[in-house]
Amino acid sequence: MAALSYRSAAKIAAREMHSSRGKFFFVILSVAIGVAALTGVRGFSTSFRSTLLDRARSIMAADLSARMFQQPTPEQEKGLDEIAASGVEITPVTELLSMASSAKTLDPLLVSLKAVDPAKYPFYGEVELSPAMPLKTVLNADSVAVADDLLVRLNLKVGDQLKIGTQLFRIASVVVNEPDRLSGSFAAGPRVMISREGLEASGLLAPGSRAGQRYLFKVPRPRSGAPISDKAVADLKARLEKLLPEAQIIDYRETNPALTQGLDRATSLLSLMSLVALVLGAIGVAMAMRAHLQQRLDTIAIMKSLGARSGQVIKIYLLQTLLLGAAGGVLGVALGIGVQRSFPFLLAKLIHVDTELHLQLSTVLTGLAVGILTTLLFTLPPLLDIRGVRPILILRRAVEDNDDPFVTGIRRKITKNVAQLGAALLILAGLAAIATTLSDSVLVGQVFSLGLVGVLGVLLAASAAVLAGLRFFLSKTRLHLPSSVRHGLANLYRPGNPSAALLAALGMGVMQIMTVYLVQKAVVSELHISAAPNLPNVFLIDITNDEIGGIRALLKSQHSVTAEPELLPVVSSRVVEIDGVSADKAKLKNFPRRMLRTISLSWSAAAPTGTNVVAGKWWAPDEKGAVVAVEQRQAQRLGVHVGSHITFAAQDKQIVATVVALMKPDGQHAYSRAEFVLPQAALAGLPVVWYGGVHVNPDHVGELQRALYAAFPTVTVINVAQALETVRSVVIQITYVIQFLAAFSIFAGVIILASSIAGTRYRRIREVVVLKTLGATRRRIATVFSIEFAVLGLVAGLVGVLFANLIARVLLTRMTVAYHFEWGWSLGGLLGTAALTMATGWVASHRILGRKPLEVLREE
Amino acid sequence: MPMIIVEGLRKSIRNGARTVDILKGLDFTIPQGQFVAIMGASGSGKSTLLGLLAGLDTPSAGNVHLNGTAISYLPEDKLAQVRGKAIGFVFQSYQLIPTLTALENVLLPHELNADSRENGLGRARDLLRSVGLGDRMDHYPVQLSGGEQQRVALARAFILRPPIVLADEPTGNLDSTNGAHVLELLLNLNRTEGTTLVLVTHDPVLAAYANRRIVLRDGLIIADEMNPNPAAAPREAVLTEG
Repeated sequence: MAALSYRSAAKIAAREMHSSRGKFFFVILSVAIGVAALTGVRGFSTSFRSTLLDRARSIMAADLSARMFQQPTPEQEKGLDEIAASGVEITPVTELLSMASSAKTLDPLLVSLKAVDPAKYPFYGEVELSPAMPLKTVLNADSVAVADDLLVRLNLKVGDQLKIGTQLFRIASVVVNEPDRLSGSFAAGPRVMISREGLEASGLLAPGSRAGQRYLFKVPRPRSGAPISDKAVADLKARLEKLLPEAQIIDYRETNPALTQGLDRATSLLSLMSLVALVLGAIGVAMAMRAHLQQRLDTIAIMKSLGARSGQVIKIYLLQTLLLGAAGGVLGVALGIGVQRSFPFLLAKLIHVDTELHLQLSTVLTGLAVGILTTLLFTLPPLLDIRGVRPILILRRAVEDNDDPFVTGIRRKITKNVAQLGAALLILAGLAAIATTLSDSVLVGQVFSLGLVGVLGVLLAASAAVLAGLRFFLSKTRLHLPSSVRHGLANLYRPGNPSAALLAALGMGVMQIMTVYLVQKAVVSELHISAAPNLPNVFLIDITNDEIGGIRALLKSQHSVTAEPELLPVVSSRVVEIDGVSADKAKLKNFPRRMLRTISLSWSAAAPTGTNVVAGKWWAPDEKGAVVAVEQRQAQRLGVHVGSHITFAAQDKQIVATVVALMKPDGQHAYSRAEFVLPQAALAGLPVVWYGGVHVNPDHVGELQRALYAAFPTVTVINVAQALETVRSVVIQITYVIQFLAAFSIFAGVIILASSIAGTRYRRIREVVVLKTLGATRRRIATVFSIEFAVLGLVAGLVGVLFANLIARVLLTRMTVAYHFEWGWSLGGLLGTAALTMATGWVASHRILGRKPLEVLREE
Repeated sequence: MPMIIVEGLRKSIRNGARTVDILKGLDFTIPQGQFVAIMGASGSGKSTLLGLLAGLDTPSAGNVHLNGTAISYLPEDKLAQVRGKAIGFVFQSYQLIPTLTALENVLLPHELNADSRENGLGRARDLLRSVGLGDRMDHYPVQLSGGEQQRVALARAFILRPPIVLADEPTGNLDSTNGAHVLELLLNLNRTEGTTLVLVTHDPVLAAYANRRIVLRDGLIIADEMNPNPAAAPREAVLTEG
């Protein structure tokens, strides 16, 4: 059988492209915008995430931290040496309480000592000193850096001597901020930073001393310069958990729940936006190729009448599609790189971070592959439609059925045309596969893929139903409507007008855009709450029951205290039994047994601010029974769950408490430190110490410290304002980036939709010509088209906005973010779509109105 | 054996709830080498009949046999092969591919249907020269006049030496001079090659050149008569083989 050679097919394909450069540029642009959005969003978000994670690492000053409660055994030392030999950097941080004194005051002061190796610590972030200088020049064997609180209490200044243990040290600098302040212990006493040699020299590290040891770990960067992967961190964590079973191993993402949540949500959202950009690009391609092939009907019919088989014709247009996809992909990748590079400049005023931009080959190749693949996938149905083009079209243009040929086509395709059904399934499977590969979030990948399958089918059905409904309405009201309205509505059923397809495409596009908007709005709103400026940034330790009233009054009188203080009661106790098993035999996970002897209990009538109940239910405010809510991670370590029984002993009282709830604090409030919370009645009569958290204007923390010291010298003040500001600024930056990228995705989506609408203009040309020939004024024609565009836009907007809300609700619920139906924005989306459809339709078609009919016909 | 056999041919189309019968049952045969003019007023079904003869459409009932093969219900790809090898078609509005040159348009059926061993390019060039377009081979349709485009279409119709040529108002869009020239070329082919020529026209002057006239009205044949004295060709024209 004679075959059309690839050379001939390519020649015909290329010649067509060359002769209709303008029209093809539109198609290439649709592909390019989709690929650009994908490459730009993905590339920038990968780079930004990497920078963000580096900042998150600074909150721990490391990738991983192992909190040890005893010295490592020789085997464990050997294991740590092996880890170090593999390239992982390790540095110990020792924290202990000690007394410090000076010649100027008689009474010694309890201080929180932190011994570090200044050559290595911190692995991330910086210790801010005043006067500013590097830590390694400040800390040596006979010098220390201290918190300003110590200077206040001991009436000292920089340069004075401080006695710690048996040694005298020179105060070389003031510690303004330690990067890992939040992940260290909140022990009583102002901070004193000392070198490891200094600690040795002080004589404090005698056997049996209660020093807390943390090992900080830094995973080596890959040689390629790419960021450290989550997998590398997770692998090291698993290795350490095995090596040090009694240590608490946490990675940098777990130090601050707000930050962790912010990062997780950012990842999900950015993945969503990448996928949305992909689908929008694909929609643009599908509509453009469809419009293109519609215009080629005559040529296809001619070729078939000359004896061309469908396969031969498909070959020509398949080659054309590949060329278009490749051209669009290359242009898109170039645009995407430009977008990626422009983001930091555009965001410079909002975020003060230098985003290191790596040109990732994987992102480029992904963009190119996705561009070509989606072009091929989405042009399959119109390409397969070539088989149905009948050569009789040359002789007779009438379409036999008044049914929307697309819907009729769908029915025909499903019942008789296995290939088209196969193509549709292939598209969905292909998109789902791409979505799963591209998505950094399994949650988003799953929801998106399944949602796409369901939504596409429902959108088509809904569009067809709405059109059928409109047609029914029209058939009943026909002559009662003004003729231009009648004409405009009837245009929706113009033979050959794929209204259902355009509606589905528009509806899908609106749905994608609105989903991005709704989800990012809800997430950003929650992130703002978690990064609210009035969260506690100064903590008060060791407030006695007698002092609590006075403390409250003092805080109230301070102008620099800008929010109600949060006060946490703490009762010391120990765990005696867990579910009937005594404490010395209970099965624990990464939790040293002796810690069961020093447990802190708190009370609260309701779930405290900033605490989420993740399992079970909180008790009623008047509860008097012995019930307990346990912090989620603590519950995992102790192996307890809702329904378990824990026996606490405090003084000579035993409390057998039933676990009724598991809680997850946000890390931002005073109660975040509470691991076991009971009703007040259960702890009645037991000695209480209070901890407090207040928000203080960061510039006036010193004033508050002095006022508190004057009135309550035994209360320790821990200033974490700087550290919290780091977390807050990171979370705020996440919100800016999310909003900016969402806006970009939306903008790209709008352009793609506009090009889809514009692509339908060619069908109107002949109609305008005929109308003008019959004497219709431009105003009349304008009215008819406006009605057609407006109805298309309203219907697409309605379907799209409804489904957007549905999908947003599902996604947000699974991300544990509150969903609210936004009436204003939904209505805005609906009307905006109608406006966009009308505006675009007009921009694309207005030239036709002003020209003479014959001119247009000749060009055609 | 007749070259074309039409048996009980019907064609109806649905228009919403209505069914429109275009052809209501036609039966006739056309022997090899005959020149038949199919006539009738607008709406009589002439173009529909031609489309069915060419296998461009499927009848509602009945069958068409071309050179011994029943074509009406063949699968599309098989039909395409029959069209490519057995039928040359000349349309009223030329129907050239606008993005191909005159030479490439003529060559297209060869690229689609012929064995690659045949020298299609040489034959295409010869055909174009024979229709007087030897110096316009590299021109695109938009650069040619109507008459020139129709001559390219003629050359295209002949490239595979089809036994049957069907023409739908081939001179309908041409001025009298060009129309005469095109007719001349067609007639010459019919006489020298023995090609069976079926021509649809509403013009009785054109029909006067045919051996036989079939007249349609409202989808039925109302007259089928031989023309014992067909008119002479407008002027001498040569369409030689390459």
